[in-house]
Amino acid sequence: MSLIKIENVRKEYKSGTEIVTAVNNISLEIDRGQFITVMGESGSGKSTLLTMLGGLSAPTEGKVLIDDINIYTLSQNSLSDFRREYLGFVFQSFHLVPYLSVEENVMVPLAVGDLTGQQQKELVLAALDSVHLKEKANRLINELSGGEQQRVAIARALINEPLIILADEPTGNLDSKTSEDIMNIFHFLVNKGKTMLLVTHNKEYQSFADKKIFLKDGNLYGGD
Amino acid sequence: MKIYSIAFQSLRRRKAKTFFLIIGLFLSVASVVTLITVSANINKSVSANLDEFGANIIITPKSEQLMINYGGLSLGQVSFNNSQLSDNDLQKIDMIKNRKNLSIISPKLFETVNLKGKDVLIAGVRFSKELKLKKWWVINGKSPLSANNLLLGSNTAEALNIKNNDTLVIKDQQFVVSGILSNTGSQDDSFIFMDILMAQTLFHKPAKISLIEMAALCYDCPIEEIVSQTASMLPMVKVTPIKQNIESKMMAVHSFERFSLGISLVMLITSFLMVFANVNASVTERTKEIGIFKSVGYRNSHILKIILTEVISASLAAGVLGFFVGISMAKLVLPFLSMQGINSFSSDFTTLPVAVVLSLFVGITACIYPAIKASRLDPTVAFRFI
Repeated sequence: MSLIKIENVRKEYKSGTEIVTAVNNISLEIDRGQFITVMGESGSGKSTLLTMLGGLSAPTEGKVLIDDINIYTLSQNSLSDFRREYLGFVFQSFHLVPYLSVEENVMVPLAVGDLTGQQQKELVLAALDSVHLKEKANRLINELSGGEQQRVAIARALINEPLIILADEPTGNLDSKTSEDIMNIFHFLVNKGKTMLLVTHNKEYQSFADKKIFLKDGNLYGGD
Repeated sequence: MKIYSIAFQSLRRRKAKTFFLIIGLFLSVASVVTLITVSANINKSVSANLDEFGANIIITPKSEQLMINYGGLSLGQVSFNNSQLSDNDLQKIDMIKNRKNLSIISPKLFETVNLKGKDVLIAGVRFSKELKLKKWWVINGKSPLSANNLLLGSNTAEALNIKNNDTLVIKDQQFVVSGILSNTGSQDDSFIFMDILMAQTLFHKPAKISLIEMAALCYDCPIEEIVSQTASMLPMVKVTPIKQNIESKMMAVHSFERFSLGISLVMLITSFLMVFANVNASVTERTKEIGIFKSVGYRNSHILKIILTEVISASLAAGVLGFFVGISMAKLVLPFLSMQGINSFSSDFTTLPVAVVLSLFVGITACIYPAIKASRLDPTVAFRFI
């Protein structure tokens, strides 16, 4: 059974007086534990597709079902809870909270949960260990390199044990060596059962993918 | 980590932002506390000065009057049922609840005598009280020091052709004129003032009093309350407040309060706008951060909690700090106002909770709109920054 099911999804934006179709009538299914790459040129609708899958932007038409839940029929609060439980985001520019330490940044999703301080600490240290940053737990974000910051963002995305990780150009701001490290981490996570959707321009990463999606002008083309 | 930990870390590590947030509230709280404290001290001083500047309650014996008409011919008024005041009544006044608000109680005994072929009014007074009550008196000579000293009104001195240190015999008792009043333009110009005990003895009216003048300090109590307490203690007398005097005093006192209130309001509005601009700018600046929180599953209420916790914490700090700085500023400012009678500074610690509540009120009302705006931020808008 598919973990993610997108049915005839269409997304339109209003740009001035003009209606722009960012995603046009896309349907696809993704199974649990798959590594998916989403490729396409700038403006092809990759990020829009990702935000719709992430419960952040409702489609103009169509359904997004995750684990058989039609997510855009949920209330606002339920959708927030759903994101916390099912999804982990990783962004190109890391997007960490600058006034929090490494440990606190990873802890952010847990601050609205019921875990005790000790339980939170244990989870955070385990997550940081998985991205090899345990020893820098107390550093401030601006004391880390770009690659390290991205690894903190990955640890934050993993802290709630989500089923799905959505990554939008996560290696876009990193050198090739660091990018390779990050891709290895993602591969490791998929091997552990996570479902991974990676938006990227880099064709080399197709080798990691179980399924490749290509977008052009909001439409699916090619791929497998 | 809890939601409020994020707010505290934001306050702790974004020092410049926190400083400007606190300073906006602090300045208004400190200014308001300074104004309130200065105003309260000036009011007390003005009130005390004004109250000593004349009586505002007169106690006279109760009497009933009847206009007599006989065969259509008016025969004038006849007084009957006349009661008299005595020294005992002074003791009863001492027992009223608001006794501490009576700054001066000055009893008087009035009699007439014939001197050098002229009828002259004698006023027996307690000089220690009378001189305090009538600060406008200008005495040529000396204030009476003993029971054998007299103080003459200017008209009487002129009519009797008497000068300082002259002797005067009244009812076989010899007196020395210690001083003559400069013209006051009042009934005092026609009196001979002597010690009340001497007058009671001389006119065979032991312990009797014609009227009592009182000056009430009415800063923190209504004068009508003192009148009512006195009247219930002395049912057989008439207690009359001199409304015009009271109202002019209270008007002077309240004008300071209105001035302070006006300035305080301007300060509060300025502070409100400063906090509003600060939080609004901060929310816009933190759009990306709000997007992050939303992406990890924060609800609108969680975002609202973070912003409110920050503003409430800053408001509490500004309130406490503003109170102490405001009190210190008032202490520094008061001597420069050169108000007569400001000898002691009094600070009211009940203003502390008021300052904190005020700071919280301004902080919360100023931030509520930007905070709600932030909490309702569409994640896709936030993600345009990401």
